[in-house]
Amino acid sequence: MLPTAQQQPDGLSTIFLALADPTRRAVIARLGQGPASVSELASPFDMGLPSFMKHIRLLENSGMIRTQKAGRTRTCVIDGPGLSNAERWLAEQRRVWEAQADRLEGFVMQEQEEEANNANRDR
Amino acid sequence: MQTVTAKLDLEVSRIIKAPRDRVWNAWADPERLAQWWIPRPLTCRVVSLDVQPGGAFVTEMSEDGGPFVPHLSACFLDVRPKERIVYTNALTGGWRPATNGFVTAIITLADHPDGTHYRAQALHKSRADREKHEELGFHDGWGTVVAQLAELVEAKT
Repeated sequence: MLPTAQQQPDGLSTIFLALADPTRRAVIARLGQGPASVSELASPFDMGLPSFMKHIRLLENSGMIRTQKAGRTRTCVIDGPGLSNAERWLAEQRRVWEAQADRLEGFVMQEQEEEANNANRDR
Repeated sequence: MQTVTAKLDLEVSRIIKAPRDRVWNAWADPERLAQWWIPRPLTCRVVSLDVQPGGAFVTEMSEDGGPFVPHLSACFLDVRPKERIVYTNALTGGWRPATNGFVTAIITLADHPDGTHYRAQALHKSRADREKHEELGFHDGWGTVVAQLAELVEAKT
């Protein structure tokens, strides 16, 4: 499934803004391979942590990444429709099963009705 | 026996105003099954409905009179006539492991004052398994797209 831009209508431009900087592009490219800590992400860059955190914050605010702090480590992960994909998938499965149960019920009722009509006619 | 997990599994239930025999026949008779198994306008062909443990359950579908294509390939795990059908697409007929199975379905029929209590439960792969799968696919998909986008942007600057 293709990633969707964030919910707000200007999602795409926020993404372009986020990607307009080589540091942020590198962060995204790295996170594309899996979650990483801020210090791990910052290590390739010759940049103070406060400056690097500005990039992280911008990416976070753009909705492209999520960060979570555990103890002294802040972990970053690409954000997206991950969990809601799972929920959407299950909802779609439910829709399929509900519709199938409806068709079964419809079929059984119709068959029963037709047989009753035939029986009445033959009587 | 089985455990149903809200975030993983689902259950649909109907009170069908008809005797259990009739509901069972709609399920276990290929000609009847073909009439409701797949939504119209698709047409269904029941290739195998060997309603016994290890039996193959194979259906195909066709759109607009076109060629029949696979719809479901599964294996019955447990069958109690007029009471219960369990099948999974993790196996094909004769217990042979399938490549891409992800669901076990448990169909239960019980008497009800108004007719038949019909219940269908779908048990899906473990959440961890699915999330791992999705995470991989997600990182693949999203990571690749973003990387390509970044390359594109990079090339322009």
